[in-house]
Amino acid sequence: MGQQPFETILEAHHAEIYRYLLRVTARASESDDLAQETFLRAYKAYRALAPDANVRAWLFTIATNLARNHFRAERRRRNAHAAVRATRAETDGTGPEGETLFKETRAHLDRAVARLPLKQRLAFVLRKVHDLDYDAIARNLDCSAESARAHVFHALKKIRQELQAFAPPRMELQQ
Amino acid sequence: MMRLPKVCADIESDIIAAATGEADPATDRRVQEHVGVCPPCGGEFERYRAIDRAAGAWRQAPTPVAALARMRKRLESRLSDLKRRTFTYRVFPSPLGNILIAVSEQGVSLIEYLGRAHTLSQSRLARLAGVEAIEDGAELEALSRELLEYLEGKRTRLDWPLDLRLARSDFHRTVLQTTASIPYGAVMSYAGVACEVGKPAATRAVAQALRWNPLPIVVPCHRVVGTSGSLTGYAGNKIELKQRLLATEGIPTVKAHDEFQIPRDTMYARYPGDDSYCLPTCPSLSTLEHPHQVVFFGSRARAEAAGLQPCTTCRPDLHPLAR
Repeated sequence: MGQQPFETILEAHHAEIYRYLLRVTARASESDDLAQETFLRAYKAYRALAPDANVRAWLFTIATNLARNHFRAERRRRNAHAAVRATRAETDGTGPEGETLFKETRAHLDRAVARLPLKQRLAFVLRKVHDLDYDAIARNLDCSAESARAHVFHALKKIRQELQAFAPPRMELQQ
Repeated sequence: MMRLPKVCADIESDIIAAATGEADPATDRRVQEHVGVCPPCGGEFERYRAIDRAAGAWRQAPTPVAALARMRKRLESRLSDLKRRTFTYRVFPSPLGNILIAVSEQGVSLIEYLGRAHTLSQSRLARLAGVEAIEDGAELEALSRELLEYLEGKRTRLDWPLDLRLARSDFHRTVLQTTASIPYGAVMSYAGVACEVGKPAATRAVAQALRWNPLPIVVPCHRVVGTSGSLTGYAGNKIELKQRLLATEGIPTVKAHDEFQIPRDTMYARYPGDDSYCLPTCPSLSTLEHPHQVVFFGSRARAEAAGLQPCTTCRPDLHPLAR
């Protein structure tokens, strides 16, 4: 087999996949579990992977599927809202208004992203944080590249609105 | 929110694209021209740009090194556990029916006659607790080809690393290891194997161990027969497979009273532990303490291929058996 040993893949991508899952689940223990599961599944399927496949995008697809299943199960248990509330509680109180728009935005982005619908959140994080192209995101989300792009744009608009809600109108006056 | 003027509403998504690095150069230019003359849209542009930059800043967020190392360690230990339990398998057709071959990281672990069945669910592998079975064509292609060559008599050795973990006990493993040393083209009795493993009374236990042999053909349990020369049994009820495998190796069988017999009086014999082979009538054989331990060869060629010399007493080289 012309494949690189699986350990190399673990070495190269574990941290990034963990951070991705942390970003979309907002809970460290869950993202650790999901990252572990991602690599265990990847190991089982690795042999069947085409030698020229994009391993990084493939790992993101597995991680995304697991995250989506996880949220689906969560929702069934009706715990989804509790999770989001917990996230908000964590970040509450850490947002004194910054001097610049960037700092302001950075302070509230966590919260705004946590409030996004799941698909938009996944698309946004994959595109803006992990720099995947729309074709890869489309494969992750099981949709067309156009829909993937639309998810990212809707996410941006929604974040923009959320930030407006967090940031008092005072900012508008300063502009 | 206030209603936007039409021109601003029209360009809104272009502004988002341009501010977040998603726009083509023409769109970029158009947006720059507009925001230059429209302060509210300029403000929007800046806000979207801030969102894009803030998300980008997440990329540089410090990695929790210690926590990640801990998680890596846990993952690596789970992975090595998974690897230990993982077997890749392939089912392929052979003259003896479909055969499943499975390998682990340590070596070839299972060869199973599936008959007409051809799916994992009909295999022993599927019934083993804690086992991960992954179908694989590429890696096992070469092994299955070698096995087929062996079954056709085109190859007399299978030099594979073996993984005997699927044996049911240490005793079974010892029996399998002893059986693996019976040379190609030769047979030995169950009682003989029992003597070799140091338990001369355990003939039946040896037979049981071979009945559950996870690696038939490679661990040649077909070369173990009854002390009477009867083939006795093979892999449950597949006695005709045993007869075929022996025939491929040049070992004759005769059918008598509904069962196959090895005609030992027409075969060359090896005194246990000796490096020569004899005629079955050689006087040296009558003094044996454990006559069951004699190994019988179907031909001189096979005996010599196993590294044996003709006996200097009975001279099988001068008086070969008539066949």
